[in-house]
Amino acid sequence: MALPVPGRADAAVGIGMRQPHYEQLLERGADLAFVEVHSENFFAAGGATRAVLRRARELYPVSLHGVGLGLGSALGVDGWHLDRLDELVREIEPVRVSDHACFARASRGVDGGVWHANDLLPVAFTPGALAIMVRNVSLVQERLRRPILLENLSAYLAYADDSMSEAGFLTELCRRSGCSLLLDVNNLMVNAINAAAPDRLAACCDAVDALPRELVAQIHLAGYAQADAWAIDDHGSPVRPEVWDVYRHALRRFGAVPTLIEWDTDVPALDVLLGQADRAVACHAEVAA
Amino acid sequence: MIGLDAEVARQRAVLAALAARTDLDAASARTARVRPDSLARSGWEIYRTNADALAERALAAAFPTLRALLGAHDFKHMAREFWRDEPPQRGDIGEWGAALPAWLRVHPGLAPWPYLGDCAELDWLRHSCERALDANLDAGSLSLLDTHEPQQLRLLLRPGTALLDSRWPVASLYAAHQADAGQFAELRDAIAEQRGEVVLVARRGWRAAVHTIDAPTLAWSCDVQRGMTLGAALARASTGFDFAHWLAQALTHEWLHRVEVVAGRG
Repeated sequence: MALPVPGRADAAVGIGMRQPHYEQLLERGADLAFVEVHSENFFAAGGATRAVLRRARELYPVSLHGVGLGLGSALGVDGWHLDRLDELVREIEPVRVSDHACFARASRGVDGGVWHANDLLPVAFTPGALAIMVRNVSLVQERLRRPILLENLSAYLAYADDSMSEAGFLTELCRRSGCSLLLDVNNLMVNAINAAAPDRLAACCDAVDALPRELVAQIHLAGYAQADAWAIDDHGSPVRPEVWDVYRHALRRFGAVPTLIEWDTDVPALDVLLGQADRAVACHAEVAA
Repeated sequence: MIGLDAEVARQRAVLAALAARTDLDAASARTARVRPDSLARSGWEIYRTNADALAERALAAAFPTLRALLGAHDFKHMAREFWRDEPPQRGDIGEWGAALPAWLRVHPGLAPWPYLGDCAELDWLRHSCERALDANLDAGSLSLLDTHEPQQLRLLLRPGTALLDSRWPVASLYAAHQADAGQFAELRDAIAEQRGEVVLVARRGWRAAVHTIDAPTLAWSCDVQRGMTLGAALARASTGFDFAHWLAQALTHEWLHRVEVVAGRG
């Protein structure tokens, strides 16, 4: 393992903490501003995973990033889910709590049961969908006693009746609920590719510029895969060069907001991940120069 | 709320379309008003592929013995089918799978392997046990056994402790599919002869251990789990049951959490 590179903590750069790196991160430590975990992976009341998270909390600020609240679900927020998240937040006292601007739960219809897709499904960008998400986010924030962050999606479906831009939808969501944005720069690029934008970089930078400066409180960086005509947000490779370009643009607009390197598929050696974090730190220096 | 019913219907249609495999794109596109461009059809497939992979990964983590018994290929297809029949209801995928043993037991295609349901149940008990609340032995509470009458006391087993009375050799099937194990010839005989096994699952450290127990110990453990007083459980215990021996086992294998005085009798 390489020597810790000074500056990750100072530059507010962290990494997603995944199982292959538990031992190294928890026994040897690393210079990181924070580690981020998927909240739901630690919902179990006991067992080894909760013990790992407790140990991580002793060493690093922890960010709890959810993938299952389904804050755009018209059925509302699952009380069971919120109970567990609240319990986890109380114990871990995370530096940030975030989830996605998506829906996940819907009625099955056949038996009145509810079905959770366990995926990040896009909501329509309509006033009706916005009202649902504002209500759900407000409920969660009230319960957790803190504002949360909502992440923009990589979406592979869109709705014919969308009447707002994504930036307009998210801005209004923040203003009406008091939440902040977790801007996933890679997701902007994935969406630009899948929309066949003639100039991907310009499309992403325009999307960044469409967001009010004060609303972005964290940034995610990750890699995507290319399959046929589609870019797939698989978090399974290094951050692509053009995504670093958008990241630098975002830093100029939003300042040095906390930044996370995500890598969830084919997780590499920790050094590779820390190398990506160092690249993010270098971007801070380039932008500041 | 304006638009709420429409969004409920739209989201329901999207999930239904994701579960479907054939000929629903047009219908779901109309209901969900998905953009009818050429890319939208592939978009459905991306989400479906995600769901397939997640179903397989989640069930493989919770049901390792079942996966070994079915083989990777059949397990993958089973996971997809189960996802459609009994989809997750919670946003913690680790909670998904409780219904799988019962689903396997009545699956017509699996009738030649009637022990799969019980094997899956043992996997699920282990999975649940390893997620149960942490609770070590309260050694100090053992002194209550010297200071109180059995009628005043109750034994609490560690959270996650569970019992399975199977007409199949589930413990042997589980053991045979651990690394470096595999007495398969003997196992085939045990299945053919329906040599049932009674199993107690309990946390040992972070892992769930599988213990084969006898019928008197099963009856005793059921009574203890029901919250019966020690006195009542002893009175019901069969003549073949030795409490001192059981207590030694319970301490060795970490089954016991603590002894407590029954409220109102102290």
